[in-house]
This record gives sequence, structure tokens and C-alpha cells, in this order.
Amino acid sequence: MIRVSGLRKSFAARHGTVRALQGIDLEVGAGEFCVLLGPSGSGKTTTLRCVAGLERPDAGEIEIGGVLVNSPPRGIYVPTEKRDIGMVFQSYAIWPHMTVFQNIAFPLTQGYRRVPKNLVAEKVRQALKLVQLEGLADRPATDLSGGQQQRVAMARALVTEPKILLMDEPLSNLDARLRERMRVELKKITRAIGVTTLYVTHDQAEALSLGDKVCVMNDGEILQVGRPREVYAHPKSLFVAQFVGEMNLIKGTVKDRGVVHSPLGKIHCRLPHDIPSGREVTLAIRPEHVGLLERDEQSSNSLRGQVVTKNYLGDAALLEIEANGVVLIVKLPGDTDLQVGQQASVFLPPDRWHVYP
Amino acid sequence: MKAESLRGAVALRETVGRIRQYGVTAFAGFLFVALSALVGVPIGMVVLMSLRTGFPGEATPLTLENFVEVYSDSGTYEILFNTLAFAFGSVAVALLFTVPLVWLLMRTDIPLKKTIYVLLTVGILIPVFLRTIAWILLLSPRIGLINQWLQKIFALDSPPLSLYNLTGMAFIQGISFVPGAFFMLAAAYRAMDPALEEAAYTGGVSKLRTFLKINIPITLPAIAGVMVYLFMTAIAVFEVPAIVGLPARILVLSSLIYQATTPSTGLPSYGIAGAYGAMMLLLGLVLAALYVRLVKQGKKYTVITGRGYRPREIALGRWKWPALAFVFLYLAIEVFIPFLVLLWASLLPYLQLPSASALASLTLKHYLAIPQHTGALPFINTIILMFAVPTATMVLSVLVSWVVVRTQVKFRGVLDTLAFVPHAVPGILLAVGLAYLGLAYRDIFPLYGTIFIIVLAHTINWIAYGTRTTNSVMIQVHRELEEAGKVAGASTPRVLVRIVIPLIAAGIFNSWIWIGLLSYREVTMALTLFTRKNVVISTVVWQFWGSGWIPEVSALGVVLILFALFVVGVLRFAFARVGEVGSAA
Repeated sequence: MIRVSGLRKSFAARHGTVRALQGIDLEVGAGEFCVLLGPSGSGKTTTLRCVAGLERPDAGEIEIGGVLVNSPPRGIYVPTEKRDIGMVFQSYAIWPHMTVFQNIAFPLTQGYRRVPKNLVAEKVRQALKLVQLEGLADRPATDLSGGQQQRVAMARALVTEPKILLMDEPLSNLDARLRERMRVELKKITRAIGVTTLYVTHDQAEALSLGDKVCVMNDGEILQVGRPREVYAHPKSLFVAQFVGEMNLIKGTVKDRGVVHSPLGKIHCRLPHDIPSGREVTLAIRPEHVGLLERDEQSSNSLRGQVVTKNYLGDAALLEIEANGVVLIVKLPGDTDLQVGQQASVFLPPDRWHVYP
Repeated sequence: MKAESLRGAVALRETVGRIRQYGVTAFAGFLFVALSALVGVPIGMVVLMSLRTGFPGEATPLTLENFVEVYSDSGTYEILFNTLAFAFGSVAVALLFTVPLVWLLMRTDIPLKKTIYVLLTVGILIPVFLRTIAWILLLSPRIGLINQWLQKIFALDSPPLSLYNLTGMAFIQGISFVPGAFFMLAAAYRAMDPALEEAAYTGGVSKLRTFLKINIPITLPAIAGVMVYLFMTAIAVFEVPAIVGLPARILVLSSLIYQATTPSTGLPSYGIAGAYGAMMLLLGLVLAALYVRLVKQGKKYTVITGRGYRPREIALGRWKWPALAFVFLYLAIEVFIPFLVLLWASLLPYLQLPSASALASLTLKHYLAIPQHTGALPFINTIILMFAVPTATMVLSVLVSWVVVRTQVKFRGVLDTLAFVPHAVPGILLAVGLAYLGLAYRDIFPLYGTIFIIVLAHTINWIAYGTRTTNSVMIQVHRELEEAGKVAGASTPRVLVRIVIPLIAAGIFNSWIWIGLLSYREVTMALTLFTRKNVVISTVVWQFWGSGWIPEVSALGVVLILFALFVVGVLRFAFARVGEVGSAA
């Protein structure tokens, strides 16, 4: 439904040019919810704005619903207003001089995708119902709360039944609790109407919970594309490993047959075939994959450690364990009895380690 | 024992707290009384003189005679019509140039943006009366260079052009309004969230329709606000109506009031001036109220944006050169031509078209003769004005803003409104009111004829501008910055000296400079309060012009402009690090 290939874009900045996008390739299938995830300055918003036609890329092709909308060498550039899209902005961009109804009806009455007059009211009503704002149609836009503005923005983006929906950090201006509620609702709405969605966020939890597909970006490049579970379970690079979820990182040197020497001691793990022995690597393991036992257990994969801090979160507890001078973060169920100062056995399952050159 | 002393300490602290709170309220009350006197007394004097006949100070009974005389005269309505026509005309001319300028500089990739900004600032520094004089030197039917030239080329019997009509007046005034209007509108435009525009594009709405249905309606309160503000100012201005209007016998309210109080022959009639003044005051207050409402409306429309990005600049392509030509046409009318005409006239024995003989007779003698004509007094007085006015205005403004922005005093809103009132009171009325006060109550107000009465008039007039800038400067210093200082253990004075003042210093200094320069080029109030003793440079220029000393006017005018440019230039250079010093916005 959306196809992007070889997208490049540079901006003139105060100190020379900034290469915002360095060759982005992306495909989003019909009805798919695709999240662009990355830190600020990674190029995710620029990519979205190029798809919307709000930025003109220097090179690369963009196709929306089988229609080529951007291709510099062939001189094709379809302006934003002629692309079959809907967009929700970070600031919501609700027009302050109109009512809720007028805001939502605007694309239907003034746009390229306008509909016969007698259908407008019904379409707006349906859109309002979709976002559960029935009854607020005649409110002036300036009298809405943040959450309501967000819903109006959503309704306005979807009222023309566009092929694709673009969202630029739509939840970042809401408070934490509302953000989580809206996240669930957003997923429900897009699923219900089956619209293809491209969504930008810097919040990894948001990306994992919303996306059918997550693209992790950094420095104008896509580092990894995959289903949320895939990206979380098998981060392809150190950057992805660190950016998506928590990781314990330890540097070490490869010795033969699946053993890495590190400050922690000898670590057994599955090594990729192309890493020769003697090579420096970074090992990574998630806090929830580190095992911890009060009992003293001697095995090749366990070491003695001491609890340094305990961060109780209710449903879980994060513990810092010091073993061989290395501090590891361990995630345990909230009801663990381990206390600060206590000794414990740290168990590091060989198949949970990620190895990065 | 211990508990008792503890209780005593708590009680003491409570008392101190209460005193402090009362102290703030009392201080705010004192400011309120002082400000009421400063703003209210001159206005009261205008009302009082409108109800009296005879000389200032003559204890005549109060009467409505002046009003009857003024409003039964059909000439009054002609003057009112002139005033409104002049105001409408000049606002129309100003918008004609301002709106395209704002659009070109804010939204397109027009080259030389920085230069254009600087030149617009320079435009503010050239006094309106000098620009008007320069254009008279070009377009006067009798001596105008352009007329002379056209007559020579086309062998015409009579001069084809004339500035001496309402259109000419409105044109010169409108041109002079542009830089101020530009900076006001540009600020409003900058506050608009670009996503509002982009949301329309993504909704499938074309660029033209978006401009008509989104951009225009959203910026409309700002444009309307600027229009009302300019209209209010156009009713109050005096320089163009005096220099162009008086010789052409086109009277408006301001020039009429000036004529009534300082007639060239006969006795001054403060009563008649007061009756006209009352009408002017009413117009001013109504327009000011409308302006405040529009600004409030406009604020509702500016939303907090998610990000600092600006929308893509529209590429002008081959329209770049026509656009640049438009901008420089304006700048030529506003800055270049007036300056060059004054420079040319100042270097010649008498005004003439450029020719070989004219070039041969170029001379600096008019510059060298300036001290001989003026003496030292106007320069001393001007320097007093340039230091005393901004200092007094900024001290008062900082104190008022501190109460308005930083305290919880109940009547702080009223104080803020009171400080805004001088915006609505035409400078000429303020000066006439003060003149009347000085003449009628010489014993309790012995300032008439001194430079300090001009200092007072300027200070009152610029409190409105001063408090607007100090308000915004103070709001920018977040309260928590101050509180963090206190939490760190610094005392209130120390917090003020080490945290607040360094943060607001640049902004305060910037408006100090601007008010100094406004005082330096101001002529209306200085002229209304003029005596032999309190002459300043701008009134000297005015007198020279009245005597027909064209080369001398031009020479002094050139010096006046160059000095202002020098001050701004030096400060910009010296304070480049601080940034905003010397910028008009």
C-alpha cells in the first residue's frame, strides 16, 4: 500500500548540511500498522512528511496505493492535497476558528476528495461516532480538552476514508494515563476500518504495543524491520538492542567453542559462525532473562552475587546485582523476597545472550 | 520556655509575612496613584479646558460654550471627515505594502532577508517629518525637483504633480507606518502553528483554498488588530498633517488643536482646543478598547506548537526578481530617496536639479554653520531628553510589570490597563493638557517652559510601550528560576541581583535604547510645549523649515539620521552577543 525506496533528503543547517535521510526503503502492506521508531533526529518524522508530501525528498520513489506520487528523476511530485491520505499532527492542528463539525467536514467540503453536500452530515456523524465524540459537533474547537482535540484530529483524518493514515507522535502531548487509554483505542479504530497506517514515535512501548510492524531508525537509516516480537527478541544490532527495551551489556573476547571471556568470568553462549576467536564482542542480555536464586548453586553458568539496590515497581522489581565487580540489572516478579545486601546465585542462560561485534 | 520562644518566633514570622504582604499591596497602591496622576491629570486638564473660556488660569465659571461653538460649526464636520479620510487612506496604504512584505519575508525564499530586516528598522529611525520634508522637496508644485524636471523635459506650463492633498498626506503617512505594522504582523504570523496549514493540505485542500479558508481567517484578528492600532495612531499623528496639511489648508483634528493653542497670529484658544480634544480622546479610547479585544481574540487562536520547525519556504523561482523589486521600491520610497534628497539639498546653496553647475557648487558650509545657527542649547536639551525619558519610563515600567506579572495583588489587572491608556491618548493632547497645567497652575507645577515638561510628556506617552515590553520580558523569566534561587538559599535581593536582573537586562536595555531614540526624533509634543528655553534638535529642524531654510533643514536632518544610525549600529555591533539589542521587534 505504501512503498518507499531509496529515499534521500538533506537539509541546510547552520553548520553545513544535515543528511536527514540516507536511503530509506520501506514497504507497508494493505491494512498494516507500521511504526517508525527512533530517537529524535533519526529521520522518522522526515520520512513521514515525505510520504505526506510536506517535504520534497532529494531522491527516491514513493508509491501510495499503487500510484507513484514522488519520483524526482521522472519529474513526478504529487502535491500533498492530491494524495489520498489522512494525517494526525503532534499539535493536533485543530483549526481554532471553526467548530468540531466544521473541522471534520472541511476535507469533505473544501478538498479534492469532496462529497455531495447531502452526504457530509452523515459522514461527519459516522466519524464522530468512530472516535466516540457524538454530541460535541457544535462545540467551538478552542473549548476542547487535549484528549478531545486528539479525537477530533483523528476523525478529521479519517473522514475522507483515505487509503493511508499518517500519524506524527499523536499521543506525546497527552498525560501518561490518557496516553495508554488512547493507545488501545487507536489500535481498535484503525483495526475496525482496516486503514493502512504509518505511525511515528520515539516511545518504544508505544511502538511495540501498536505496530504490526516496527521499523527502528537511527541517523537517517532503517536499522531493522520486523514484527514487534521479532525486534524485541532478536535485535539485529547493538543500537536496536539498547533502544528497544532494557539490556545488560558486557564487553568480552571470544575464545573457541562458544565461550567468551569477560570481566564477569567465562560466559557460555551461542556465537554466530562468522565471529573468529580472539575477537572483541559486546554481549547483551535482557534483565528478565537473568535468573536469580537465593540458594547457592554451583553450575558452569552461575555465579555468586550481591544485591546492591532494589527498585520495587509493584508488579515487578528491578534489582542491581554485583558479581565479579560487574553490575547486572535483573527483573523479577514483584513478590520476590530478595533484599539489599543479600547474596544470591546469578544464572545466565546461554541461549539468551545476544552477541554483537 | 522553649515552646514559648518558638511560639514567639512563629508569631514574629507571621507578622513579618503579613507586613511584607501589606507592603507589596501598599507599594502597588502607591504605583496605582502615581500612574493615575501621570495619565489622569493631563486628560483631566483637556476636559477642564474644554469647559472654560479665556486664558489658562483665569478663574472663569465652567461652561459648555466651547462645545456649542465647535459642534454647531459645519467646518467641524469637514475636519472630522478629513481626519477619518486621512486615517483610512494611510491604513490602506500601509496594509498594501505590509501584507505582501510579511508574506514574502515569512514564507518565501526571497533573497537578502537580513538586509531587508535591517533596512526596515532603519525606516523607523528616520523621523516622519524629515521623510515628509524630503518628499515635499521632490513633489512640491513650487520647488519640487521632480516637478521641475518633468516641466523641463515635457515643456509643461504648470507642475504636473502635487503632494499637497489628502492622497499625498495619506501616502506619506501610510509609508511611514509600514515598518511598525510589519513587525507587529510578523510576530502574530510567527505565533501561528504551521501544522494548521499542513492539516488542510493533508485533508486534500488546495493551496489557494487553504490560504483563503485557514490562513486568512486565523490571522484575521491580528490583521484587524494592526488595522485598528494604525487607525488609532493615524488620528493622533501631527507631523504630516502639519507639514503638508497646513499649507494646503487641509485641517485634521491634530493640526487644528495645534493651531488653536499656538496660533501664528492672535491669542491661543485652549477652550476650543479642548472641545476638539474631547472628540479625539473619545475616538482614541473607543479604538483602544476595540484593539484590546481583537488582541485577546487573536491570542485564543495561537496554539502551543508541538515542534519548532517552520513550514517549507515557498520557492519564488522566476518571481524572485519582481518580488525583490517590490521590496526595494518600498524601501526606496521609505528610506533611500528621502535620505538622498536631504543629502543633495544639504550640499547645495539652494535646491536645484542635478547638473554640472550644481555639482560644481557642492559645499559643506551648511553643516559647518549648524552650531552657529543653533547654539549648544538644543543639543544639551536633546541629550537630557535621551537619557531622562528612557530611564524614567523603564524604571516605572519595570515596577509596574513586576506588580502585574509577579505579584498576586488584586488590582494588578487595573494597573496594567491604566499603563496601557497612554496608547489611546494622542501625544498632542497629552502635551496640550500639560501645557495648560503648567500655565494655569504655575505655582504648584512650575515646569512650564523647561525641558522637564517635555521629559514628563514623553515619559507618560511611552509608559504604554515600556510596560508592554517589560511585561513580555518578565513573563519570559519563569517564576521557578527565581524560586530555585531562593531554594538554593539566596536572599530576595541577591536573587534579584544575580538571577532576575541578568536575565532581563538585555531586554530592558533594548527598550531603553528604543525609547531614547523615539524621544530623540519626537517633535509633536516637543513643539506643543516649545519655548525658547526648552528647544531640542527636532524643534530646531521644524523652525528652520518654517523659515524656509531648506539647505539648513536638510543638513541638520542628515546629521539627525546619521547619529541615530550610528547609535543603533554601534550597539548592534557591541551587543551582537546579547542578540536582540537594537532590533525593533
